[in-house]
Amino acid sequence: MFDILLTDDGVVKLSGRLDAAEADRARRVLGTLDRPTTVDFSDLDYISSAGLSALIETYKRLHQAGHAFRLVRLKPRIRNVFTYAGLDRLLDIE
Amino acid sequence: MVERRFPRAVGSLDAIFAFIGDFVDARGLDPELKYDVGLAAEELFTNLVKYGRGEQRDIRMALDAEPDRLVLVIQDFDADPFDVTQAEPPSFDAPPSERRPGGLGIHLVKQITDELRYEYANRTSTITVIKRLKA
Repeated sequence: MFDILLTDDGVVKLSGRLDAAEADRARRVLGTLDRPTTVDFSDLDYISSAGLSALIETYKRLHQAGHAFRLVRLKPRIRNVFTYAGLDRLLDIE
Repeated sequence: MVERRFPRAVGSLDAIFAFIGDFVDARGLDPELKYDVGLAAEELFTNLVKYGRGEQRDIRMALDAEPDRLVLVIQDFDADPFDVTQAEPPSFDAPPSERRPGGLGIHLVKQITDELRYEYANRTSTITVIKRLKA
C-alpha cells in the first residue's frame, strides 16, 4: 500500500511501497508542486526505479524553476537505493 | 524450490512481493531479503512487461534457497531476446521517451544482487538472480 500526502507547509509525506504500480499516482501529485519542497520518507518502506524516476523528474522541474527539493528521514534501505542509483550525488538528501 | 506464474502487468507486483515474502518467512531467512529480492524481481518483471513486444503468456518466477544463497529465476516464454546483463547504465539526462530498455532498474539489480545471468533458448528468456546469504 502506498500513500502520498501534501501538507500546507510544503512537505510531501510518502508512506508504504512506491513501486511501478504506484509511480503514476506519485507522479501526478508531485506534478502539482510549484514551490520549495521537502519530501519526508520516514514512513516509506520500499522504492524502485519507477519511484526514483518520478522524484528525478520533480527535482529537475523544481530545480529549473529555482526551487529547493529536499529529501529527508530516509530509512537505511531506502537511502541505499538512492546511493546505488548514484542519486546521492544529484539530489539534496539529509 | 517454489514457482508461480504471474500475468504480464504491473498489477501483478503485489502478488510477486507476497510470493517472495512468504518464501523468505517460510524459510526463516533475513527479512531484509524481501526488499532486495523484491526490488530485483520488480525491476526485471516490469522490464519484461514494458519492453516485451506483444507477448501474452504469463511470466514464471521460481525461488530456491541453498545454504549460502537465494536464487530467483524469471522466465519469459515465446519472447524475443533481450540480454539484461548487457543493458546500458542509466542516463538521468535523457527524457523517458529516449531511455533505453533496462537503464536504471537493471543497474539497481546489478548493485543489490551478487550475480545476474541471462540465457535464451527455444524463444524463452531465462534470467537468474543470485543473492548471497549472510552467514
